[in-house]
Amino acid sequence: MRYVVYIFCIGIFCVIGISFSSCIREEISGNTPEANFEALWRIIDEQYCFLDYKKEVYGLDWDEVHERYAKRITADMGWKNLFEVLSDMVNELRDGHVNLSSSLATSQYRMWFDSFPHNFSDSIQRNYLGKDYVNSSGLTYQILENNIGYIYCESFSNGIGDGNLDQILNQLAICDGLIVDVRDNGGGNLTTAQRLAARFTNEKVLVGYMCHKTGPGHSDFSTPKPVYINPSNGIRWQKKVVVLTNRRSYSSTNDFVNSMGQFPNVIIVGDKTGGGSGLPFSSEIPCGWSIRFSAAPMFDPQMNQLEFGIDPDVKVDMSATDMQQGKDTMIEVACSLLKELGKD
Amino acid sequence: MKVARGICWIISLLLCKILCAQTDSLHATHYVMRSTLVGAGFNNTFESYLSPLEYKGAEMRFIHESMRMTRLMSGKVSGQNLLHVNASYTDNISQTNHAYGGMLSWSYALHYQFSVSERLKLMIGPMLDVNLGVVYNRRNSNNPAQAKAYGGLGASGMLIYKFHIAQCPLTVRYQADLPLLGVMFSPEYGESYYEIFSLKNGGKNVLFTSLYNRPSLRQLLTLDFPIRRTIMRIGYLCDIQQAHVNKLKSHIYSHDFMIGFVRNIYLFRGKKQISMPSKVTPF
Repeated sequence: MRYVVYIFCIGIFCVIGISFSSCIREEISGNTPEANFEALWRIIDEQYCFLDYKKEVYGLDWDEVHERYAKRITADMGWKNLFEVLSDMVNELRDGHVNLSSSLATSQYRMWFDSFPHNFSDSIQRNYLGKDYVNSSGLTYQILENNIGYIYCESFSNGIGDGNLDQILNQLAICDGLIVDVRDNGGGNLTTAQRLAARFTNEKVLVGYMCHKTGPGHSDFSTPKPVYINPSNGIRWQKKVVVLTNRRSYSSTNDFVNSMGQFPNVIIVGDKTGGGSGLPFSSEIPCGWSIRFSAAPMFDPQMNQLEFGIDPDVKVDMSATDMQQGKDTMIEVACSLLKELGKD
Repeated sequence: MKVARGICWIISLLLCKILCAQTDSLHATHYVMRSTLVGAGFNNTFESYLSPLEYKGAEMRFIHESMRMTRLMSGKVSGQNLLHVNASYTDNISQTNHAYGGMLSWSYALHYQFSVSERLKLMIGPMLDVNLGVVYNRRNSNNPAQAKAYGGLGASGMLIYKFHIAQCPLTVRYQADLPLLGVMFSPEYGESYYEIFSLKNGGKNVLFTSLYNRPSLRQLLTLDFPIRRTIMRIGYLCDIQQAHVNKLKSHIYSHDFMIGFVRNIYLFRGKKQISMPSKVTPF
């Protein structure tokens, strides 16, 4: 009898355990074109952070997109065709941070820079850099003929060391003003961008807000939390600064430009930035293709969206005449501005 | 909350019993059963924060176990220390991406021992478990990994049966550990670790867990057999760890075959002795 009682207890224990251990899994149904299409549409539907905002701006209706593209999906379509259809679908988001990657190719939405003047030429830039420029930690710098310091930041993908920044700013301390050129800088690490920005403020400055999705609904967002730039403990620039931008200043460079725009001694000169204010996340669909998408939006201090770029304080385009003469219109304007402001 | 109160009451009762422990259990507490097992098996990892796909592959596991009698409840309660370390390497369904996982799990269980017969022993009691680890997805951008940190109180049960085959003494043990209440770390649904650690924005990152949102079960089946003077142990582990918090789903299913050895030792002023009378063995 005792055996029965004890075995019964054990049985109950196991049954409780097993019943509560109900499986937690995702509903993914196979690796067919339909299943891949549904999986991709759902990832964007549940995790992409700008669906409501883009509905407001240009009428994006993600349910309508599903309806329209589902018609182009057939059971017997090849991988290449599927990739084309899925790429077209995600390009409806008009977001440079959205990329579908496969062994065939990586989809890219390029209109955010292809539809506008490039406003940058590295061959013309060489005329200003000369041959004795210095490259340190990914930053190229030179003192221009009119005693204006010039730093070109090509990318924020690699870290910039504090020691390197100290050295660069120390070398340029004799200049009357500084140009920080972030044209064609497609972004990288936010922390790197913020480390550079921290060299241009003497106090803690509110530069914007950030939030993230808290659920799969289009409007499920956390309360936006403030983002501050704290002044660096290293050498900080005290004179006037011009930041040069073009449409290819994107992602964390967009964030850098936004941060710099909040500082009183900084002027943004050039073209509107490319935008890209959503922190990208990655996911994948059953066939193994990876999808990158914007997951957490960033705002300026007035809670304005920055996804479609930041307008400069002084709008300048490269003029054809200047380019023919080997001149960079933006650098020329920046130098004039800094010289003028230096007199005040 | 009633369950939590109940568990607190049991723990309080156990602590009170320490004071009225009998002296004849003092020597029993010096006998310790220690075992070390290594093994390999199958792993199925799913983290909706990283991917909607399940990753399957191989894993390796190390288990160190230590059991000894305590003075609680007239010396009828044994304490079990169990340390699991496992590492996995898994692929997605189309084998286009890999994930790496690693977990460190520690649990301490107090088992009240019911001697059903000379051969069969049933052990049931509360358990405390702590788990730390990470799942890393090689391809992701700002969500490259998911940190695993959770723990709490649970129930543990064990059934030990001793028998002979051709005069060879064998011991078979089945153990099941069921977490009941605890806490767990998790980012929010679309929250990046950049926001949590660089911006220190936080959010609902420490969550209360129960059977409802962390239905997990760890089962261990072992067989002890002697080879000359060494007691060998082979075993099978089925570890089901699941969670559904902050609208993020996750699971790690492990099925491992283990092999190792058992040491029965007597702790006395730092000296060790290989012998364990059946009256005092915690196992």
